[in-house]
Amino acid sequence: MVNCYNPTSLKEALDIIAKEVVTPYAGGTDLMIDPNENPTYLFLNKVSEIKNIVEDKEFIRIGAACTFADVIENELTPEILKEASSQIAAPAIRNIGTIGGNICNGSPKADSALIFFATDSKLRLVSNRGERVIPITEFYLGRKKTTLEKDELLVEVLMSKNGLNNYYYKKVGERNALAISRVSFAAILNVDAGKIANCMTAFGAISDVIIRQENIDAMFIGKTIEEAKGVKEEYLAEYDQAIAPIKGRISAKYRKTVCMNLLHDFLESNGI
Amino acid sequence: MLKFILNDQEVTSNSKANERLLDVLRNEFSITGVKCGCKEGECGACSIILDGRLVNSCMVAIGSIEGSTVITIEGYRETKRFAVLDKAYASVSAVQCGFCIPGMILASECILDKNPNPTEAEIREGISGNLCRCTGYNAIVKAISIAAKEGKGLW
Repeated sequence: MVNCYNPTSLKEALDIIAKEVVTPYAGGTDLMIDPNENPTYLFLNKVSEIKNIVEDKEFIRIGAACTFADVIENELTPEILKEASSQIAAPAIRNIGTIGGNICNGSPKADSALIFFATDSKLRLVSNRGERVIPITEFYLGRKKTTLEKDELLVEVLMSKNGLNNYYYKKVGERNALAISRVSFAAILNVDAGKIANCMTAFGAISDVIIRQENIDAMFIGKTIEEAKGVKEEYLAEYDQAIAPIKGRISAKYRKTVCMNLLHDFLESNGI
Repeated sequence: MLKFILNDQEVTSNSKANERLLDVLRNEFSITGVKCGCKEGECGACSIILDGRLVNSCMVAIGSIEGSTVITIEGYRETKRFAVLDKAYASVSAVQCGFCIPGMILASECILDKNPNPTEAEIREGISGNLCRCTGYNAIVKAISIAAKEGKGLW
């Protein structure tokens, strides 16, 4: 009985997923925790096209089957993603867990997905019918629910090459290693010619999907730091409304307090 | 039928592709140096070296390792590097019940293989996925730094 496929090229993998009902398996570190009774795995760890990190004019392109160790060790990787990846689990997990798996598993606690939200990264999804490039914010429908079609594979994550240096990242977990995020927060703020060019924030682990509120962050855009201070209270009040954490192993109240503290700290670290 | 290299020998497994490498090693190959502590990648007792990198064997479906190289403590203990680590661990009583030690030794190997002169912080980072409930880690950290000194040139 066939219960797995071992494609060695993307075309081969797409041909299989177009015809068969399979579970894509990249690193296995999420799948193996609670495996299905009789899964048919499409092993992706030998598909070389999705294991590279390259750059073009606009983007750093990270293959979906790159492990966290690959990401940490590659000089092209933006520092914000390196820092978050270094805090995921422990070396043995980082050696096989992949960013593609982290994203497609559909958990709001996915530490690399949080970074892709805060950096407005895009996903390249490919099937035999064609391909689409979408913002990661459009990928999630709910907890464990994504817009990935049955015959599609996540092939690459596209991160902007510029403007990611002034970042803020905090993962709040129960311990240093092997921690699952209880609250995670990532943000970027760029000032160009005295005015805030962009402000991007993302909150992880507090609701079914990572929270990214572009409309609220837009309040700062085009303002000087001084002007931003003037609307700070309004900005925080908007987030106070927007963040409604769900209760998990820890209380919603705790999560909310931590989120607001991190947001305050991010603003203060940028003089706002 | 799936072939891989286990402790320098080519072997064939008849297990189903979705079986955990941990279970296959223990049940099909009688490799009992890999211990089952948690089956969720949290304890490191089942650590192996897969294609040169430390991995939890409970997190690996056997079907994904066709052609790969697996080293367990049973293979590693034949090396000169093991002899140095063995002596260093013994010299500071870094072993008590021993359940974590096969994984801890392979983690030590991966730390030193990557960096023959690790700092204490780097050692702690390197074993951060290997839980020990007896010694409290300090003796293990000490043992690895002793091995780094005593084993100069081996790594």
